[in-house]
Amino acid sequence: MRRGLRFEGVAVAGVGMVPFGMLPERPILHLARDAGLLALHDAEMTLADVDEAFVGYIQLASMVGIKAMKELGLTGLPVTHIENASATGLVAFREAAWAVSSGRADVAMALCFDKFTDMAGGGGRAGGGRGGGRDVIDAPILPASYFALWAQRRMHDRGTKPEHFAAIAAKNWNYGAVCPTAHRRSDHTVTVDEVLGSRIVAEPLTTMMCCPADDGAACVILAREDLVRSRQPGRALVRPLASALQSETYARGHTFVGPVVGPSTMTRDTARECYEAAGLGPEDVNVAFCHDAFVNEELEYYELLGFCAEGEGDKLVEEGQTGPGGRIPFNTDGGLIARGHPGGPTGLAQIHESVLQLRGDADGRQVDGARIALAHLVGGGSICTVNLLERTD
Amino acid sequence: MARIPIEEGFFRIPDDPAEPPRLLGSRCPSCGEVFFPRRLVCAKCLHEGCEDVDLSTRGRLWTWTYCHAPLFGKKDADVPGYGVGQVDLAEGPRVQSILLGGPDDFEIGMELEIDLETLRENEDGDEIVIYRFRPAAEYFNGVA
Ligand SMILES: [Zn+2]
Repeated sequence: MRRGLRFEGVAVAGVGMVPFGMLPERPILHLARDAGLLALHDAEMTLADVDEAFVGYIQLASMVGIKAMKELGLTGLPVTHIENASATGLVAFREAAWAVSSGRADVAMALCFDKFTDMAGGGGRAGGGRGGGRDVIDAPILPASYFALWAQRRMHDRGTKPEHFAAIAAKNWNYGAVCPTAHRRSDHTVTVDEVLGSRIVAEPLTTMMCCPADDGAACVILAREDLVRSRQPGRALVRPLASALQSETYARGHTFVGPVVGPSTMTRDTARECYEAAGLGPEDVNVAFCHDAFVNEELEYYELLGFCAEGEGDKLVEEGQTGPGGRIPFNTDGGLIARGHPGGPTGLAQIHESVLQLRGDADGRQVDGARIALAHLVGGGSICTVNLLERTD
Repeated sequence: MARIPIEEGFFRIPDDPAEPPRLLGSRCPSCGEVFFPRRLVCAKCLHEGCEDVDLSTRGRLWTWTYCHAPLFGKKDADVPGYGVGQVDLAEGPRVQSILLGGPDDFEIGMELEIDLETLRENEDGDEIVIYRFRPAAEYFNGVA
């Protein structure tokens, strides 16, 4: 079965996002419009230049994507909705990149947005992906509990301590503090003790180890590489290289009921496919983004994405290798923990930060000389995607 | 007053209140893999036509947590916290479930047995119930 995609002759023309956060006073269509305009301005384009659009969200009614695109103009372009739970944004990005790489579009847009503050009670994700409500068998187990189950098993198997998880959370909070598009921007340096001292949600996860609920929007415009070069001479060129997307392979121990994102090993298989399609390995990657909705996930992904051997993630944390100045900085915009996790746009925010890093424009959190970025997300229902981008001169 | 499952098709409630509920599973006649909940197509070998089986009332705790957020379905009630776990049944399926007990009552690898938790009453006075697991009786010998 062929899974990894390699993109040829595609470059990022523009990126844009509104800062994530609780934005109850801002209509969703305006959030989408503003992110779209920021990306069009960054690309020095109007909607007339865009051949095709992919829109995504996970919490809104059907058709909202078409309405959002109308805020940017009515040019008749084809618009397709993408929904893949938390991974929606990266999958919209993948589809837009493939639309250009396959030759069917010269310019393609991925636009994603979501609004959790419209949800009654502030969060509809607890229904386990079967429509929510309290009269379904999935409902009693929250996503926080689900990932806490991973964390407890990890501590049992590997001797990992809550301090390891807290150190990763503190790193992400402190990255968020210097990222202008992040939701949580701490006014002080967050410490391990502060993270451990915040309220317990599900053992061993505290509130500061869990992502917030967010509103937000983000947009990425991809175009033929020669078009981007001719329109934007002199600017660092960022190219999507490869993408892999998997649903789950059956293995003993799969849980069919309740929150499900599949076994953590799904990330290892998806990453392998993406590395193979790109002709790269983890040693080539300079900055990485992952699904840290619950911070123990990030520790698992250090190993599963190949940045260290199995069981050695704890050591990577102890050595500070995934923070500022480390061997492989992770989630330099604060990740889902601090930048925020509106749902649909989360993956496009990862691409936004990847592009800033590869252009050398990530003020205050720049990874020196970054040339290859990796963006990973898992999504409920059990899917995983890994994507690689490269700076070329 | 009757006991009504939160959702049909996942477990059966015996008439005798002393009897534990039975999880409803499927067994593939081709490869033998057993699943919870019931399904038509085998997830392992893709054979069409899995057969109904009742699953064990005991299992082994693979992992657990203790959650301090409101219990869905019970959020009208004052619940200080509750256990959540993944339980491996002898036939193979891993089941996610609420656990009965406090944060100090669980240990990976321990034996659990299934019973029912009442989430609330409906307007007719019937109890809406869901399955849960609790530490097996022998853990309470000389303790509780
Ligand atoms: Zn089978």
